[in-house]
Amino acid sequence: MRPPPQQTTSFGWQQWLAVTWLGLLLLAAVGAGLLPEQYLAPDLLHTSAPPLTPNHGLGTDPLGQDVGMVLLFGARVALCVSLPAALLAAALGTLLGLLAGYWGNQRLQLPACYWLSGFLAAACYVLVTVPSHGLVVWWWPLALGAVAILVGRFLSCITGLRKPIAFPADWLLLTLITLLAALPRLLLVLTVAAASEPTFWGLVVLLTLTTWPQSARLVRAEVQRVRQLPYLEAATAAGLPPWRIVRHHLLPNVWGPIATTIPLSMAALIALETTLSFLGVGLPPEIPSWGRLLAFSRVAPDAWWLLALPGLCLLATTLSLRQLLPVNKQRSTI
Amino acid sequence: MKSFLSGLAAFLLCGVGLTACTTPSAGPPAVRIRWAQDPQTLEPLTATSSQAVEVINLRHCSLLAGDYEHGRFAPWLAESLPVISRRNSFTLLTYTLRREATWDNGQPVLARDVAFTLKVMNCPRLPTEYSRTQYGVILDIELDAANPRRFTLVCKGSSQNVIIASGDYLILSEHSLDPEAALRAVPLPLLRADTAAALRRYPSLLNLANRYRSIPPEKQPGCGPYQLTAWAKNQYLRLQRKPNWWGSKLNKPPRWLQAQAEVLDYRIIPDNATALLALRRGDIDLYPEPPAQDFNRLRHSADSTKLLFSVANSYDVTMVGFNTQRPALKDPLTRRALSMLFDIPGLISATQPGLAYRSVGLINPHDKPAYNDSLPLLVFAPQRALALLSQAGWQQHPDKTWWRNKIQLVLNIIYKAGAADHEAIATQLRTTARQLGVLIKLRPQESTLLRRQMQSGNMDMYVHTLNGTPYAYNFFSIMHSRGIGMINYPRFQNAESDHLIEAITAEPNPLRQASLLRRFQVLLQQESPVAVLYFARHRLIASRRLGTVQAISARPGYDATQLQLASARQ
Repeated sequence: MRPPPQQTTSFGWQQWLAVTWLGLLLLAAVGAGLLPEQYLAPDLLHTSAPPLTPNHGLGTDPLGQDVGMVLLFGARVALCVSLPAALLAAALGTLLGLLAGYWGNQRLQLPACYWLSGFLAAACYVLVTVPSHGLVVWWWPLALGAVAILVGRFLSCITGLRKPIAFPADWLLLTLITLLAALPRLLLVLTVAAASEPTFWGLVVLLTLTTWPQSARLVRAEVQRVRQLPYLEAATAAGLPPWRIVRHHLLPNVWGPIATTIPLSMAALIALETTLSFLGVGLPPEIPSWGRLLAFSRVAPDAWWLLALPGLCLLATTLSLRQLLPVNKQRSTI
Repeated sequence: MKSFLSGLAAFLLCGVGLTACTTPSAGPPAVRIRWAQDPQTLEPLTATSSQAVEVINLRHCSLLAGDYEHGRFAPWLAESLPVISRRNSFTLLTYTLRREATWDNGQPVLARDVAFTLKVMNCPRLPTEYSRTQYGVILDIELDAANPRRFTLVCKGSSQNVIIASGDYLILSEHSLDPEAALRAVPLPLLRADTAAALRRYPSLLNLANRYRSIPPEKQPGCGPYQLTAWAKNQYLRLQRKPNWWGSKLNKPPRWLQAQAEVLDYRIIPDNATALLALRRGDIDLYPEPPAQDFNRLRHSADSTKLLFSVANSYDVTMVGFNTQRPALKDPLTRRALSMLFDIPGLISATQPGLAYRSVGLINPHDKPAYNDSLPLLVFAPQRALALLSQAGWQQHPDKTWWRNKIQLVLNIIYKAGAADHEAIATQLRTTARQLGVLIKLRPQESTLLRRQMQSGNMDMYVHTLNGTPYAYNFFSIMHSRGIGMINYPRFQNAESDHLIEAITAEPNPLRQASLLRRFQVLLQQESPVAVLYFARHRLIASRRLGTVQAISARPGYDATQLQLASARQ
């Protein structure tokens, strides 16, 4: 009889190499945060200088900025953008996946009065312009939401409006995922990034909003699987509240797949941020990044170091993050 | 087997079809010129990009043409320079058009076409703001009843600028744009003075404006040497010499009435590296204004045996402008402080090595009489900038930021995205300012958006290269308060400056004009609406296929009418 595959956490040399590189990257990111920005001051007497130029071991870009320093600060930016975006996307995906997977299309029900007030609030949000503030002002949707709840409570006095109507959470999630999947992510991100003024947090939010479907799909599938298991049915039959079931019985099950997606998401997000910066629509130009360094190779085609060095950093980081996936080694007894 | 053969046949047919689609049409050999961007529009009243102006000047003619060799204007459509006379306080400039000058359909270019053009330039419901400002000195036109090619322009002022303004607009064809001659009855002074009254008295002006707008600018007939034969937006633009170009019938035509190349093919290649590759591969013949580093590198490389290089002093001045209407930049002291944060020698050596020179202001240092060499050049002095900021009322907080009346000194600077030299200027300023506690945000913009933002004043600072001409000084559009919303990007408004600009434009005596220009430079340095960084030299790289090519001081840095393939010279 063949034994079941065993999970092991033993690291091979690739994993050690990956961890070392990522450790260095983390160190560089922390170190860059402590360095004054003065280190990025352009040296106008040495523009596009090759590596091993005095004071510029890795050369300079066409603005005269030290490539080593740009790589260092770029590492910080790569981590600071990709890590929060990956974590936020995983959190959002988990939340939505749990909602859709556990409650499905029928189990989450709301009285008709809340549906009505919610619809009115949404219409108000779309149609009424907030004077001189624009629709993105943070308090406007919050105020509308609060008013919608109050109006819903008031309307609940009417008997006919107390009838519960199911909220099709699963259908909505799948439709949203299909819509996002129908548009190429790079195209979507490029369009939004080009239309709005680039900011650091704006980019993080944009990347989050386009990355969550992967986690949501995984979580939804996992929850739907676990929901059928006897222990969960027993928990439901015992009358445990939904939040407790979710917290103690569902979340521990979905954590494994989510943990697997985070390094992969980070690798994809670093590549995406680099692409955006390369195209000049990502971060503001005052924030150094590997993508902007790569873009300078178009201005100075002979400066190979502008292509090779950030390219190597990007490659090493992406490969290292992939090496962080849980190691499954099947030990054969044959 | 049968299906394989039919598939193969279909494949071959497709291949032949596709090849036929992509093969360029055979025709006379063309001179191929690189453009970095599309002209976007060829509308004569509104076009401002150098590409559009170049095409418009090849399709249309003005009364006078720029003679860049001698830095003066010369007769183009006119037989000679205007005859000048006086009537009261007005200057009368009498022109006679060349009898050879004709439109595409063979009809002669007449004085009534000039009158029509002047009226269009002041017609309501048309975008005439620029022409009204630039040619506002022309008050009226009087046609000669005895000679249909002779007319007199009534102008205010008598300076060289007035003479140039009287002949520096391209002439439109009346018979094709206004076949019913509706504009003939409308007096020019009325159009200039009160467009609302003109509209009330002559409602047909509306029809004319609609008709003018309905005809695409590229379809308007011109009396210039070339006609537009193809234009694929953002790809290429092709001009073909007219087979019956009237200039070729002249005995010994001057340079500006010649058209050497049979076909001018403008290839739009936005990326500099791609353009350089295209030049090396022989896909283009002329690469104007390459980046200075590329130019120098190529000049010292082995490619120099296959390529020609040329450099000329230019009137293109690179500057940083301050939006003088922003609260933080309203006072000259703050602007002067910020002007001291530019390391101009460093910027020149980094972005224009050997291909730029400094100036105290907007006047080219090579114009010795007008250039005020007693003024000091801008110095890189961050510590003096600190003192000036304090003097301007700014106070530095413990976190090193600067505040005045609860306003923090945080500025944005816009510049053309992809322009490495402009980016270097903005980055150097930002880094130096940051060390002093002044926060500057970089905002690269696409060129159309950049122009729109500069016109609307939606910025604090901007990096800009202003294209000047060697012929005359006219600061109305760029520094006069009447130019706000057009090309007066700093939105500079100063009574003394306005008065000086008007005086410079009106002054007929060159010596007195030079004196006024010197005073104007002093005023500009005191007020600092702009920080002038450098004048760049025009540069060209051409393939040997072109024989000889000479860079010139006027825009676009070469004379397209003089370009010719070496094979055609023999």
